[in-house]
Amino acid sequence: MKKVISLTLACVMVLMLFSGCGKSEESDVGRSATTNESNAADSSAQSKEPITFTMYSVEVDPYPDTGFKSPVAQEIKKRTGVTLEIENAISSDAGKQKLSLMAASGDYPDLVYAKGDLNILKNVNAVVKLDEYIEKLPNIKKFYGDDLKRLRWSKEDPGIYGIGGKELGQENMQPNSGFQLQLAAIKELGYPRVRTLTDYENVIKQYVEKHPEIDGQKTIGLSLLGDDWRTMITVTNPANAVVGNSDDGEWYINPDTLDAIRHLTRPEEKEYFRWLNHMNDIGLLDPESFVQKYDQYKAKIASGRVVGLIDARWEIEEPVAALKKEGKYERTYGYFPVTLNEDIKYADFQSAGYLGGYYLAITTKCKDIQRAMEFFDWMCTEEAQILTHWGVEGEHYTIENGKRVMKPEILKMRFEDPAWSQKTGIWKYKYPFPAYGNAVKDSTGQYFDPFDTLEAIIATQSDIENEVLSHYGVRAWKELYPQASEFPVKHYGAAWLVNIEDPEWKAADDKILKIGYKMIPAAILAKPSEFDKKWDEYMKALKDAGLEKVEKQFSQALKDRTELWK
Amino acid sequence: MQNNIVVNKVNSGNKKSFREYNCLKVLKKQKYLIFMSLPFVIWLFIFKYIPLWGWTMAFQKYMPGRSFFEQEWVGFEYFIKMFQDSTFYLVLRNTIAMSLLSLIFGFTLPIVLAILINEIQANKFKRVVQTISYLPHFVSWVIVASLFSKMLSIDDGLVNNVLLSLGLIDKPIAFMGEPKLFWGIITFADVWKEIGWNSIIFLAAIAGISPDLYESAMVDGASRLRRIWHITLPGILPTVMVILIMTMGNLINIGFEKQYLMRTSLVRDYSDVLDLYILDYGISAGRWAFGTAAGIFKSVVSIILLFSANTISKKTMGVKIV
Amino acid sequence: MKKTSIGDRVFDVANYTFMVILTIVTLYPFLNVLAISLNDSIDTVKGGITIFPRKFTLNNYVQIFQTDTLLSSTLMSVLRTVVGTITGIISTGMVAYVISREDFFAKKFVTAVFVFTMYVSGGLIPEYMLIRNLHLTENFLVYILPGLISVFNVIVLRSFIDALPFELQESAKLDGANDLVIFIKIIFPLCMPAVATLSLFIAVGQWNSWFDTYLYAGSKKWLSTLQFELQKILLSAQSSGQQDIYGSSDMVSQKRVSPESLRMAMTIVATLPILFVYPFVQKYFIKGLTLGGVKA
Repeated sequence: MKKVISLTLACVMVLMLFSGCGKSEESDVGRSATTNESNAADSSAQSKEPITFTMYSVEVDPYPDTGFKSPVAQEIKKRTGVTLEIENAISSDAGKQKLSLMAASGDYPDLVYAKGDLNILKNVNAVVKLDEYIEKLPNIKKFYGDDLKRLRWSKEDPGIYGIGGKELGQENMQPNSGFQLQLAAIKELGYPRVRTLTDYENVIKQYVEKHPEIDGQKTIGLSLLGDDWRTMITVTNPANAVVGNSDDGEWYINPDTLDAIRHLTRPEEKEYFRWLNHMNDIGLLDPESFVQKYDQYKAKIASGRVVGLIDARWEIEEPVAALKKEGKYERTYGYFPVTLNEDIKYADFQSAGYLGGYYLAITTKCKDIQRAMEFFDWMCTEEAQILTHWGVEGEHYTIENGKRVMKPEILKMRFEDPAWSQKTGIWKYKYPFPAYGNAVKDSTGQYFDPFDTLEAIIATQSDIENEVLSHYGVRAWKELYPQASEFPVKHYGAAWLVNIEDPEWKAADDKILKIGYKMIPAAILAKPSEFDKKWDEYMKALKDAGLEKVEKQFSQALKDRTELWK
Repeated sequence: MQNNIVVNKVNSGNKKSFREYNCLKVLKKQKYLIFMSLPFVIWLFIFKYIPLWGWTMAFQKYMPGRSFFEQEWVGFEYFIKMFQDSTFYLVLRNTIAMSLLSLIFGFTLPIVLAILINEIQANKFKRVVQTISYLPHFVSWVIVASLFSKMLSIDDGLVNNVLLSLGLIDKPIAFMGEPKLFWGIITFADVWKEIGWNSIIFLAAIAGISPDLYESAMVDGASRLRRIWHITLPGILPTVMVILIMTMGNLINIGFEKQYLMRTSLVRDYSDVLDLYILDYGISAGRWAFGTAAGIFKSVVSIILLFSANTISKKTMGVKIV
Repeated sequence: MKKTSIGDRVFDVANYTFMVILTIVTLYPFLNVLAISLNDSIDTVKGGITIFPRKFTLNNYVQIFQTDTLLSSTLMSVLRTVVGTITGIISTGMVAYVISREDFFAKKFVTAVFVFTMYVSGGLIPEYMLIRNLHLTENFLVYILPGLISVFNVIVLRSFIDALPFELQESAKLDGANDLVIFIKIIFPLCMPAVATLSLFIAVGQWNSWFDTYLYAGSKKWLSTLQFELQKILLSAQSSGQQDIYGSSDMVSQKRVSPESLRMAMTIVATLPILFVYPFVQKYFIKGLTLGGVKA
């Protein structure tokens, strides 16, 4: 009896293997040609028939515009007939899994935004090549201009497989990163010059000495957040910054040869970590830096007792908002472009040009590719850009003296209501659709971006912030930093956007990263006499994990991409 | 009817004689049993056995979407890679260590709790205690991890405050940063979270013990402890053993959620477990083959553990699963 | 009047003390979650809340009850829990009974075939493909069929059945009952403590499950469950992607992380209903409160 059953089992399994598990869709490259023919006549009179496009985005969104109900969405529908049904991933890992499942099963939505993982779908020919459509449509070409080249996929396949993604013409109006110091400390110490690590250290040292407690709790000099991947932000990225490089992720790119090495392996950066080790040694570094979780870190900041931080602005947004709500403006932070010495410039604002890399793609299962492209084309027009950036005229903004002015209620909502974008629809359809950044002006000379202009930002600064800034002779923190014009534009784009497709390579890259999470804190917390030893151990561990190979692979990928963009 | 019973008595426990009977007769007689099991066996094959074709992925450089025939075959390459990776052995060690601790404390303490709850005289109090004790099970690990982090913090954490005020230590201890303490902390957190919930099944087992046994024991003057030892424990033994065997089989499958949430940079050498390793270097990296290979490894280990536990239990206590 | 020795008294006192400590220690996390959920979201960032809210507000709950998917997802959760538990426990019971019968001709085979599956799995992709090929995606049955039987439950229930004297079944047979009747009228009722407990396990499993919703509900919003809605909020707060951190800060601040207080409120909302079920089940396995006797 048992034998019969096992034999049957085997047969069934074999049958299953043969019958269509993991059938791939036929290559649909030919499809674009046929639909093109039938719709060529319509391209000028763009259809306004209602149509719904389904879209999957790997971006997590806690406040999605479900049902396409917001005023902006409704306006989009009115003008184009298009309704978007967007599904967001519930976490970045889940997003990747979903993409794999899509690829395996052949069930694709109409549109997909996969950030760095679009290759999963491209490998099964699920993504439509857009070149021919772009040729025939007016606005996309105009929108991207020369940067259209940066939409190309790869050296082996230079076609364009998606558009949108990062904003075009984006300039930071505020420093993304920097060495933060509490305004109270700056003020009390008489607005000292904060240019080098030693200056920074001194401010903290002096303030902590004078105020061992703040609001009844022990003062913390400098707190870092070594919680998993956040280690990269507070611990390792600054090392890159203080030696004068802009953010290329984990890499240092030689601008001439385009060879890439992991930035941490450079001897200059070792000195930064030695400084952190020193800060720990003299008791100014929060001993919980590598043990605390994000929530605890935020709580500490929000209590107002952390004098110095070295973090990205968005990571401390929540606790800073909490401080502001309580009126503790003097406990919020100023941003300083600190480097190792006077000769090095902090390169936070160095431009990488249009970033490319991430694209919104149309799948081969899209119900109407031509229509989708027409929609994207419409998105590239000035009226669409104003709509997605500013909202609906009359409802969200008014025109005064020919200039767009955002309504005060909306400005207020943006700061107080985390669901503001969901409710109004403003900025909901900006990223990842084709979108202009904050540095671009429309045909009337006004900015497309209502919020992210220097003036708008200055308007939101607190009194004490303005007071401090005036003593440094500037209006905003950005102006303390070396400006973008002082640096050449990175012709290779942003290194961190190079997609690592090969899973083996990815795994090796991950491993190298994770070794750092462990060994860097060990080196920082060690006794100063042991620092060199610990650091050398770390370097050796990296080599043993295959660092050279990963570096070579990456360099090649970067070179290929730069070639592609020429 | 009479005939059937005679047949039953003669044949109970003697399988060979069934074969001597007409197969159809057997099927007919046991038709209700078949009716109550066959649909589920079919269900089992469909939902559990058919997906096993996925094991072939471990031998290919699997890319989702390509059909079965288009996959690149690499044989045991991924298995070899896994066995050659020193990290693999590290995580294996951590996994086993935490599993054993979980077995020793997480398995026995709920039994103890069940017995103790059972001994509470006041019914209302009994119900209240039992209800509250399982509440942590419903609080997600995300929250529990955060809670422990705060309580063990050197910055005004509860534990350190208590220890300091009792004069047991003079400087706060960074518990979450001590690699060697990680296993202990995880086990403690796990017990805290699950002890009440896990005790429920044992309470059910105790409920099945006949009250007569207790009454006659009390008449004989047996004390509380003796009654527990001689009645309660033997009474729940079959259930305990059966659950123990299955738990043994799961030793290698402790998941990763709590370790992932509770770990800090400094303790990674002790916190990373097999499932996390698989997630990181398998699924998340898109290396399906690797993930599947590791999965197969785990299945094989589990089956071996299960059958070992089963055999030992069969020989010593007479309780078995298969 | 019961005789209680000094030893017994000491035992009782120790026991009661221990229970009180246990209660406090296990109640704390729950109270903490509750307190934070009733606290103002921005104030919560400062941390330090224990069991009482510092800045009381019902805002978090208001926000949750304003989501339009709340009602439908709750109904779906209830529906799948009820249907899933009933079908689950009956299936489990039947299989457990069948494999408890030594005289069943396929006993060893069926047991082995079930037990084997406890530790093997084909992986996510094959399971996904199977569900899809069976047209169970975007279908309510996907909540019921794939997870119908947990082998662990079967084995545990069987051990309870084994504890019942076989004579019960024999005498029932004498009275003319067939196996099915024996199962329904004798075995099932007599295993009430186990049946109740396992039903609770199945119900909680159904109630807490969200990954299947995530994978298979597709675009059918009415299939969403309460837990899934909760997970969406919880997970959005744990962005783990390295790619999320780089680049223009606006992009990141566009996806504001839902505040801790909101997450806590959602936790309470998603958990409370199942807690209400509990008292009904409890009486079945607290000794002294069992309905009817378990005596042979």
